[in-house]
Amino acid sequence: MDLSLDIEQLRVLNWRASTRDIAAVVGPPGCGKTTVGSGLAIKMIAEDLAKRVLLVAYTNAAANEFCWELCNILGSEVARRLCLRTGNPTGVDPLLPIPFSRSANEIQEKRIIISTNLSLKKLPSLMRFDNMIIDEAGVERLEHLLWPLWFGVNNTLAEQYKNRSNNNNSTAAAVVDTSTENTHQTKDLMQLISQCGTVATVVGDPKQSRPISPVREDYSAIEWVMKRSRWDTLRISHRLPDRLAGLVNEFAEYDGLRSAPEIGSRRLVLDSLPDIEFREIIQPDEVTTWVDINGIEQPIGPSSWANDVEAKGCAKICDHLIHITRSSKSIAVITRFVAQKQIIRRYLQRMGHTDIKVTTTTGALGTQADIVLFSFTRNNPERNVGAAGTLQDLNVSISRSKEKLIILGNFDMMLNGWSASPLNFRRGQKSPARNLARLVDSKYGKVVDAPSILKC
Amino acid sequence: MTNVSVRDLYKTISKTKTHLVQSREIATTCVCPYLFKMSYPFGVVGGERDYLIANTVHDAISLASPTTILDNWQQGKTEIDFEYIAKKIDKDSEGIVEKAIANAKEKVRIEGKTPVLETFDYEVQDRFHGLLIGLAKRIMKKYEQPKCAVTEITITNVKEVQEGRIDAIFEFKDGRYGLVDWKTNDITKTPSTGVDRWQLIANFLLANYRYTGSENNWNRCLFGSIVFYEGAYIPRFPLSEDWIEKVKNDRKFAFEILCGGRPHAQKPAFCPVCDKDGESSFDCRFYREDSRLALAGNLPIDYANIRRLLLKRRYLVLDERAETHKHKFVINSMIDRLGEIDALQDLERTGIIHSGYRVDSINANSITLVKPNNSEDNITTLTLLEPRKIVRIIGKEEDGSGGRRRIPLLACVNEKGFVKNVDDTKLVVDFDSNTIAQRAKAQLVNLPIIIIPDEINLTRRVLEPMHRFHRLAADLMLPQDLFFGNQNGSFS
Repeated sequence: MDLSLDIEQLRVLNWRASTRDIAAVVGPPGCGKTTVGSGLAIKMIAEDLAKRVLLVAYTNAAANEFCWELCNILGSEVARRLCLRTGNPTGVDPLLPIPFSRSANEIQEKRIIISTNLSLKKLPSLMRFDNMIIDEAGVERLEHLLWPLWFGVNNTLAEQYKNRSNNNNSTAAAVVDTSTENTHQTKDLMQLISQCGTVATVVGDPKQSRPISPVREDYSAIEWVMKRSRWDTLRISHRLPDRLAGLVNEFAEYDGLRSAPEIGSRRLVLDSLPDIEFREIIQPDEVTTWVDINGIEQPIGPSSWANDVEAKGCAKICDHLIHITRSSKSIAVITRFVAQKQIIRRYLQRMGHTDIKVTTTTGALGTQADIVLFSFTRNNPERNVGAAGTLQDLNVSISRSKEKLIILGNFDMMLNGWSASPLNFRRGQKSPARNLARLVDSKYGKVVDAPSILKC
Repeated sequence: MTNVSVRDLYKTISKTKTHLVQSREIATTCVCPYLFKMSYPFGVVGGERDYLIANTVHDAISLASPTTILDNWQQGKTEIDFEYIAKKIDKDSEGIVEKAIANAKEKVRIEGKTPVLETFDYEVQDRFHGLLIGLAKRIMKKYEQPKCAVTEITITNVKEVQEGRIDAIFEFKDGRYGLVDWKTNDITKTPSTGVDRWQLIANFLLANYRYTGSENNWNRCLFGSIVFYEGAYIPRFPLSEDWIEKVKNDRKFAFEILCGGRPHAQKPAFCPVCDKDGESSFDCRFYREDSRLALAGNLPIDYANIRRLLLKRRYLVLDERAETHKHKFVINSMIDRLGEIDALQDLERTGIIHSGYRVDSINANSITLVKPNNSEDNITTLTLLEPRKIVRIIGKEEDGSGGRRRIPLLACVNEKGFVKNVDDTKLVVDFDSNTIAQRAKAQLVNLPIIIIPDEINLTRRVLEPMHRFHRLAADLMLPQDLFFGNQNGSFS
């Protein structure tokens, strides 16, 4: 079993293994949320603290990540014996050594079950889990927590709770007097669920993801838990080298996020020198480079945006990176907008690069790459950065890279942009994008003008 | 209308209530308004039944309707002949039924479900045969051979906020139509609540809209029927005005509930669920009592807080359900303003819809659509289609009656699927089963294709745990003598 954890991860792991309640673990970028979740499940089973553990992820991709992490720690053979992936068969990675099934009998036989949240309804309704780990709960809302928490309700404990309540009530007046405080200890839903025996660790980061909610300002699932229960934060990033960890820490105000010692000084190593036009952009000593490029945004679809000049620029930089790294580095392109993602993907396809991951910020959650390009896309005379300027999206986009981050966008637009409406701007609610631009320029990176080769 | 104004329309529409009421939901409301509230907003779901046999029969008969059933349709035959006609269709449909059975078994295998029983093949064949007898005995006997049949068609009437899926519509030479609803459940075990009759009337309104543009125009309607095992129910025409009014009123009721309103609900003098202690009756009584106590202010404060929270979250989830229909509202609104041709051009220019494709081939659960590559020069006129996106493929039909009227876009034949692959010239769409892919190909093959974005409604999946915790909270936090429901045992 290969479970190498840092002190922060160990602290959280031991805390969650020894307590039987619902609590939150906030995991900033690269701190190993999935590793801790998988490690906790294995520890619970290995030390006989739980008979059956449920790992829940928001997306199929994240559920597959859980499976791979379990395989890494346990080895394929043991993982195959202990674990089972269930849910929607079309979302399952066919290369996974862990078996897939929706059969109640097979699910009952395994100790660690991995599923997406929306597929939980398909689990046998009487099935119960001793512990649950719910990942990426920043994307979800309170109601999304309820299915996994339901599978932790212990009927015996619920019955005991009921008897206690009835005893309390029998000493109270026969008719309920709503003007006085009730004798129950339960003040809210989370407490009630906890008192019914549900044990869960809700993992996520409200600074990396927000739920898409009909209500403009709604708490994420993890924020609900943080408000009503205990929580802890991991602080050592195993992905971000020192300069990038510093940038992310200051930008998202993590109050102490730092690099793991072995990766702090990590820098991009190239097989050959970049061409002169790309040298300033790709320079390996600088972890973060901002390419100031002045493309024009255009509206596409119901609410998306695209920027052709930036898209071409991204594709050209990727092409050159592949050339000089001889495909030895993983490259990912991130943008806030689906339309921009599509255009970049098409340019890359035309250049013959079909294996570069091009994704939106939501899709980028839980992923990483050696080199990340972030296309900001929005550029208009009004300096309206819109949804692209939210803290969560920017935080995800700048924190996926292991060695090099290249941001493409109009620097002035970002430095002076506003987010929601001109009204907010006048009231002083500036876009978080301003802070990012200022931090890159002044402290953690370098702003370079886009070379003419990128614009044509 | 420019590109940006389509986007403005999306912004405007997102502030309005874009709910659609399904025919089935209207039917439930007609039986009892509280029964509808059990689904929305409360999230009560019925017991888990296995619909595999019923679904397989549905699949088979949807493929047989436009082919073997039409080919063997014979009018005015005697009782003895019905068995012969059914047997003949049975024989000609052998391949279709076998394929549907094989697909069902394959699906069970892929999804890792418990294997089907040994009697599965027989059950499917028997129910299929029973439906054919019902069809021959009651429908074929009376009506001439239809010109064609469309099956499993989803019709959306945005103006009347209604949507429904009709099992089969038979179209006749004189431009009239007959609507059929197959009841493939094992009728010996299914309690009758009358819901099917109301659903049929709700579907009539949609079919009228498809053929005449107005749900109130009955000129083209020839018959409607619920065909069940060896029989059929055919309501006498003209339908009672009271029935039609009831369906419309209850549609309005359901819509108001979905929009977060609190229209007055009254339990009917006799509810076939509650008054016969049917499934959900206990839940129904629970919520009625719960509301009454809350209104009277008789609930303990902690429980009342949890109850309030869960109800509030339920209505937020319902708002999310409305979001899934917004594309249809935008498309309909554009067509109303600009006319269909201009509206579709504008929508395509904005990247909302896609046209120019034709059905090329079928492979397992997927169909491939192709179109000439003319977007090579301008990469930004790209499609917003991407793998795993849900789309509705619409075959733009012309009205077969010889008139100039077009069938409304959202009432044309269509099928919903997932984008599997997409490039400049080719779009591969994946369906739930090979049967659906076959049906999509058969119905869409000679029609101009329009692809619109669509979404899955997962509302009930999210509502259900809220119901469970609501019941659990009541069970644990309310004094036993306060709530009559607790006498029946533990909720947990």
